[in-house]
Amino acid sequence: MNYKFVPSVCSYCGTGCGVLFEVIDGKINSTLPLKSHPVNKGKLCIKGWNLHEYINSFMRLKTPLIKKDGRFQKATWDETISHTAKNFTKIKDQFGPDSIGVLVSAKISNEENYLAQKFTRAVIGTNNVDHCARL
Amino acid sequence: MDIINQVEQLLEQGKVDIFIGYKELDGHVIPHGFTKENLDELKDLKTGETRYSLEKMATHLAKKDKDLKIGIIARECNKRALNCLYTWNQLNPENMEIINVNCCPSRIKIHADCSYLEPKKSGKFKKEHGIEFNNDPEELMEKYDNNERFSRWMYEFNKCIKCYGCRNICPVCFCSDCSLEDPDLVETGDLPPDVPIFHLVRASHMAGRCIDCGLCEDACPAEIPLRLLYREINQIVSDVFDYQPGQNMEKSPFTVIGDKVTLEPKPMDTLL
Repeated sequence: MNYKFVPSVCSYCGTGCGVLFEVIDGKINSTLPLKSHPVNKGKLCIKGWNLHEYINSFMRLKTPLIKKDGRFQKATWDETISHTAKNFTKIKDQFGPDSIGVLVSAKISNEENYLAQKFTRAVIGTNNVDHCARL
Repeated sequence: MDIINQVEQLLEQGKVDIFIGYKELDGHVIPHGFTKENLDELKDLKTGETRYSLEKMATHLAKKDKDLKIGIIARECNKRALNCLYTWNQLNPENMEIINVNCCPSRIKIHADCSYLEPKKSGKFKKEHGIEFNNDPEELMEKYDNNERFSRWMYEFNKCIKCYGCRNICPVCFCSDCSLEDPDLVETGDLPPDVPIFHLVRASHMAGRCIDCGLCEDACPAEIPLRLLYREINQIVSDVFDYQPGQNMEKSPFTVIGDKVTLEPKPMDTLL
């Protein structure tokens, strides 16, 4: 049996509480507050305590979905990316870049967030980018 | 013999399949499961002030594999929790191997492993309006009348952000159906929770079970003096049944169905 604890940072809000994931045989079993973390000092809110739940949630999307004929249908990544690019270009050409806004997420990594803002500013050409943790 | 050798022997002789101790990772001392396959990790084994509920982690492992032999590092509070978990059939004492570590400093052993050595501090506002962490209950009873005590406790309870941290961190909280999640007892989605019912439900469930480790108070973001509350509840258990949870393998008096009631019911209206 492989049993370890992985320190991480809570992905729910901008506070940045330290958490410990209890991992049994490669699967996250529970979340604990990290006692030695300077931000939360061994305390968490209810969202932090349940941080492990969305990772293995059955409701989590595993494939991209495209809305066709009024309902979401499974699609491949290639299909989805070209669909998104086509529609973004269409909106940008018709209404200008400021008609698009990007809201990035605490549930993706710092680097992915950086890429998202770069994409928004350099590719789309708007400053309409914000983060869910800046509520 | 130092603790690393002790653990190494236990693992090599097959007395334990997994040993739950602490290791240091990037400056944080965190719990870790040491196994025979990764003996070289043992050099990072640490003991120190950090306290996590290792016995609760053992129950998680036992749930996955009931025959797993588990070794853990234990202080006095861990041992009390283990006794409690044995009597409630959450762990099998035959599958457990304990290595004791020092708890409180003494002249013989200056070294101590407890985060509780320094008493918790209460701020000015808490001193004026709430209940201090290190209050002496008798002094509290003398100093304030019923109404004053009630309003002070209500001030503490009203701060609750309902994180369920006290329950989640508690080494002796293991019920699969928790009363605190029962919509008939506690309204879901309400903040602050129904006070004082939320806290008193938990307090009453701590009777005959709380082993006074203080982890709940450590984990409480609202700084509610939970340890004091549960201590007082268990004082009643001690006075009435002469039972101290976790002291030995004796079953809690609440597991026995008696034929007469000796407790006098005391209604809340004397307070209100």
